[in-house]
Amino acid sequence: MSRLRSVGLIGFLTVALLVLVIVAAGLGQLRIPPAEIVGSLLHRIGLDLGPMPSHPQGDNALWKVRFPRVALAVLVGASLATAGALMQGVFGNPLAEPSVVGVSSGAAVGASLVIVTGVTYLGNWTIAVAAFITGLGTTLLVHSLSRASGRTEVVTLVLTGIAVNSLAFTLISFATFIANTSAREQLVFWQLGSLNGATWPAVTAVLPFTVAGLIASVVLARRLDLLSLGDRSAGHLGVDVERLRLTVIVVVALLVGASVAFSGIIGFVGLVVPHLIRMIAGPGHRLLLPASALGGAVLVIVADLLARTLIRNADLPIGMITSLVGAPFFFWLLRRTRTRQGGWG
Amino acid sequence: MRRRLPSRLPTGRTIAEVRGVSLALGGTPILDGVSLSVRTGEVLALVGPNGAGKSTLLGVLSGDHAPDHGAVFLAGEPLNHWSPVETAMRRSVMLQQATISFPFTVADLVAMGRAPWYATTRADDDERAVQAAFETADITEFRHRVFSSLSGGERARVSLARALAQESQLLLLDEPTAALDLHHQEAVLQLARKSAAGDDAVVVVVHDLNLAAGYADRVAVLSHGKVVADGNPRKVLTAELLSEVYRHPVEVWPHPGSGAPVILPRR
Repeated sequence: MSRLRSVGLIGFLTVALLVLVIVAAGLGQLRIPPAEIVGSLLHRIGLDLGPMPSHPQGDNALWKVRFPRVALAVLVGASLATAGALMQGVFGNPLAEPSVVGVSSGAAVGASLVIVTGVTYLGNWTIAVAAFITGLGTTLLVHSLSRASGRTEVVTLVLTGIAVNSLAFTLISFATFIANTSAREQLVFWQLGSLNGATWPAVTAVLPFTVAGLIASVVLARRLDLLSLGDRSAGHLGVDVERLRLTVIVVVALLVGASVAFSGIIGFVGLVVPHLIRMIAGPGHRLLLPASALGGAVLVIVADLLARTLIRNADLPIGMITSLVGAPFFFWLLRRTRTRQGGWG
Repeated sequence: MRRRLPSRLPTGRTIAEVRGVSLALGGTPILDGVSLSVRTGEVLALVGPNGAGKSTLLGVLSGDHAPDHGAVFLAGEPLNHWSPVETAMRRSVMLQQATISFPFTVADLVAMGRAPWYATTRADDDERAVQAAFETADITEFRHRVFSSLSGGERARVSLARALAQESQLLLLDEPTAALDLHHQEAVLQLARKSAAGDDAVVVVVHDLNLAAGYADRVAVLSHGKVVADGNPRKVLTAELLSEVYRHPVEVWPHPGSGAPVILPRR
């Protein structure tokens, strides 16, 4: 991948993301033209340029509902796609993904326990921190269960994922069972994945997790490339393999925990996006990770746009939309891997 | 922490050493009181039957296996004195088989050999070192191909090129010739000789005793986890010793041209 093409890819994704942010903020029950959205944004930062939204509720709708929702979509998409690419690197397996191996549902266990018990002593961050802790525990569990000499075979990975997912969903079911009616309703919708509850406090709670995770991913990129050579060879090139693995796992839990806490389980983003980027740009993590972050943001904005506009007056669960695309994609990848390896005995 | 860059040792100095090393893997003793030193300017061949402990000894030298007893030294210090990156600046390793998780190209993989020098003054050499490694390992023609599309012999040469690009003074090669054709087998050991002529130290595990006899300055014969002979190939590779170690009658003659031992099992 030449430098020019790398810059081109990042540039294209950045422009696509900016355009989508404007478009997505304008679409919905109340339509606001892009020029007015840009105008409203510019006025907010003190520049008296462009038209303000013409509808009397326009500006209010933008800043109270649309912008936080789009901002959360960007953060969650970037987090999930980056987490997917990181997991694939550390598992040495392109099928590793937070929702497939059970990290998302593991994080959801912590979040749902907090929702049910109503604990809030970390304020806004309570749910995110709980999701991070159980997500971290789950990642460590999957990592130690499914690894053999530095790599994870597809079969082992998928079967471990099934086991971990079913355990996590049992705990979530229990939380749902003991919950009161309103918490139960919140839990059910949140499990399906939704950006419906996006507020500025939610955005500010996710933001530091995402930013920290993205910065860490860029720092780790070079070493993740070396990890593709296998644990021993990576070690021979000066990588402290165990420390790298542990660091990546913490970063994955950080990214997934923050996303799950405020948007529920949005599956397959971390599978589809890094895979497409690898097909375009090759496997080098220095480009893969930032490009996946941008691509993930694009995907989740589009998925959320579909979720709230496909059916009039209905807000579909976004997790349903991403799974509708992601699950067949996963199946196709699985078939292809199987053909390449000549069957799994 | 500041990384301590290596300084090159002059020829004939000990760059790596194991002293009284014993190691059991999974309860089975593999190495039993092995002492061996590796010197700059020298090709040292490790030979011996299957299961004698050659690769494990190489693994101890490279730091992959921590010995149960005994000590390992690199560049005059205990191995654990160096951080992983500092170790990588001083020794490179080529392993027997390589599997790569993602479809990296050959050029990417060889460039990874420069990782230890990232953000040091020697990073300026990256391009030259990679280019030289391409040429030496004879892989320039397929540098844009994806690793998984290569044959076994081609893969071995890519792994070798990566170890060469690392440009450390100690080169540890674990059966580098196993997958190679005759031409490339000879080429790899000529290369080892050339590196040693430039004051590098090369340790190579080989099965082909004639390669060891033809190219090594020193041969260490391992049997049941012990070094049973260590020295000049002409002195060490005798019919008597080899017949006993390999439990098969072996004949040795001096080559009429070079005088190097020619080794054949009796058939």
